[in-house]
Amino acid sequence: MRRLRLLDISLASVTTLVYLALYLPILLVFVLSFFSMRRGRVNWETFSLGWYAKLFDNEALGDALRNSLLVGGTAVAAAAVFATVAALHVNARPSSRSARILEYVIFLPFLLPPIITGLSLLIYFRETGIPRGIATIIVGHAVFVLAIIYRIVLTRLNVLSRSLVEAAHDLGASKFQTFRYIVLPNLRMPLLTAGILAFALSFDETMITLFLTGTDATLPVRLYAMMRVGFTPEINALITLILGFSIVLTVAVAFAWRRNAGLENNSATRI
Amino acid sequence: MAKPDTGGPDSESGLPLLRIRGLGVSFGPVDAISPLDLDVHDGEFLTILGPSGSGKTTLLRAIAGFQPPSAGRIEFDGRDIADLPINRRPFNTVFQDYALFPHMTVRENVGFGLRVRGTARRQMTERVDIALGIVGLEELDSRYPAQLSGGQQQRTALARAMICEPRLILLDEPLAALDATLRRQMQNFLKSVQRQSGITFLFVTHDQSEAITMSDRICVMRTGNIEQIGTPRELYYRPKSRFVAAFFGASNIVEPCRIEESRDDMTVVSTPVGTFSVKGPPPENTSGLALAIRPEAFGSDAETRMNSLEFEVAAVSFVGSETITELRHRNTSLMFTMKSRSDPAARPPETGSFLRVGFDPAECALVTGAES
Repeated sequence: MRRLRLLDISLASVTTLVYLALYLPILLVFVLSFFSMRRGRVNWETFSLGWYAKLFDNEALGDALRNSLLVGGTAVAAAAVFATVAALHVNARPSSRSARILEYVIFLPFLLPPIITGLSLLIYFRETGIPRGIATIIVGHAVFVLAIIYRIVLTRLNVLSRSLVEAAHDLGASKFQTFRYIVLPNLRMPLLTAGILAFALSFDETMITLFLTGTDATLPVRLYAMMRVGFTPEINALITLILGFSIVLTVAVAFAWRRNAGLENNSATRI
Repeated sequence: MAKPDTGGPDSESGLPLLRIRGLGVSFGPVDAISPLDLDVHDGEFLTILGPSGSGKTTLLRAIAGFQPPSAGRIEFDGRDIADLPINRRPFNTVFQDYALFPHMTVRENVGFGLRVRGTARRQMTERVDIALGIVGLEELDSRYPAQLSGGQQQRTALARAMICEPRLILLDEPLAALDATLRRQMQNFLKSVQRQSGITFLFVTHDQSEAITMSDRICVMRTGNIEQIGTPRELYYRPKSRFVAAFFGASNIVEPCRIEESRDDMTVVSTPVGTFSVKGPPPENTSGLALAIRPEAFGSDAETRMNSLEFEVAAVSFVGSETITELRHRNTSLMFTMKSRSDPAARPPETGSFLRVGFDPAECALVTGAES
């Protein structure tokens, strides 16, 4: 009995420690974005939004953030279109040669070390004389996130009952109508999930970006550069904002999934 | 199967609605369906019955257009539709798993066929209302399929298939997923919808009792071939093969059988347990010829029947409404069922005693072919 309680207590403390290690630094950053520190203690009387104001005045960081959003958004959108087309093809003809080749080709960049992907793209762009900049970063990121979107979309397509598509055809729908009314609505959630995941990957991707960037830096690259000269406290405000954004996104996705779960669960028994 | 044995009571009433000639489906070297002929008449309830692997679903899928045939013609209303894409075929399908669109409400599911045809909204609402009324789902029109019971999903699928007023609906084992009680209800429901709407139903099932209760005609399939087509009564009482006889419940098989003579629509055969008269002409192909007698065909009033035999009673078992008597004579054993009575005078025979039973020539059939 006693031993059991001891075990409980030690388990609880370990859990607490893990959570502290995970979240204390984030909490500290959050606090520091509003307050200043003196001699290792937070001075609670110094509340201000000054660092946020400073952050918005910091053009270098602002540009980097804008670049990151632009790169992430565009790369994810492009990759989503391409991944969906590829997944549709593979799903329709899973045993064809082209499908098998496609599987490998899409997965390779995801499995390769980013340094290899970055380097080979760099060499390619240099040899073909394409100037490096936002566009080349977008290409790099699209290649990088393609596999994850492709895999999620394909998984959904595989479980999408074949008879749904047949039923739509049977009721007179053309191929396009079937895609528009039946397949696409069923891909909405997987595309949303995959898109958010891919965007997160793109947002902190550093290695490939380092090779492909011109004068425009994305946020991670900018932060990496700043590290060498030392951070200014507005970095805390930036991290807090990104954290808040992530939380909102996570909650939104969770809600969307829950709303969707009721509909996904088609209880029609398959024999 | 070259001979067009398509049967049908109303063959003379002009062209069949669906006319299938030499239709074959093969998967690589394997013939899922050997070239076969089948006529489906306007307004009938035709069931394709067969065990799994008999090709019944493949046949239905070929008609629907999901499975390209490797040979043959499919004519609908006199027009060859074998090359017509699925969405242009003038009939609809109820799928085994219903295939309801999970992201659409009942109303949207039912109206889908009209929506893709660009039907005006008001007209669509009206027609969906009518269809929902027929299947009794007016109240549930804003539910999603996941919120429906199995029977309600089934009704939605039927309404969806009926919305474009097809003359033919294909149903692929639509009741397989339902429990026994609901299944019986849905059988009656489907049959009444079919009768009232006048739509031709082509129904696939592996359940012989389902086929018997619902169908106008039954087409029995076995390993990609049509074994026999006929009304439920014909198949039950006059099976042509051992397979059909066995498929429609336990049948007594007396073999070997030799044809002695045939005249006036009557065939006389000799068997190891006696010589019997059978109604109808002898079959053309007599390999594996045997006499099939339904267990309920026997009567203990042997003297009034044309055929009779005396057997030893091997066992008697009381199973409620029926009493089953097992009779044995040399190597042949027969099952004989009769209605149970509480009257002690009508007590079943004693085990070990000898019993003379009789049966009518119309109550037995000559069957051929190998056992299942």
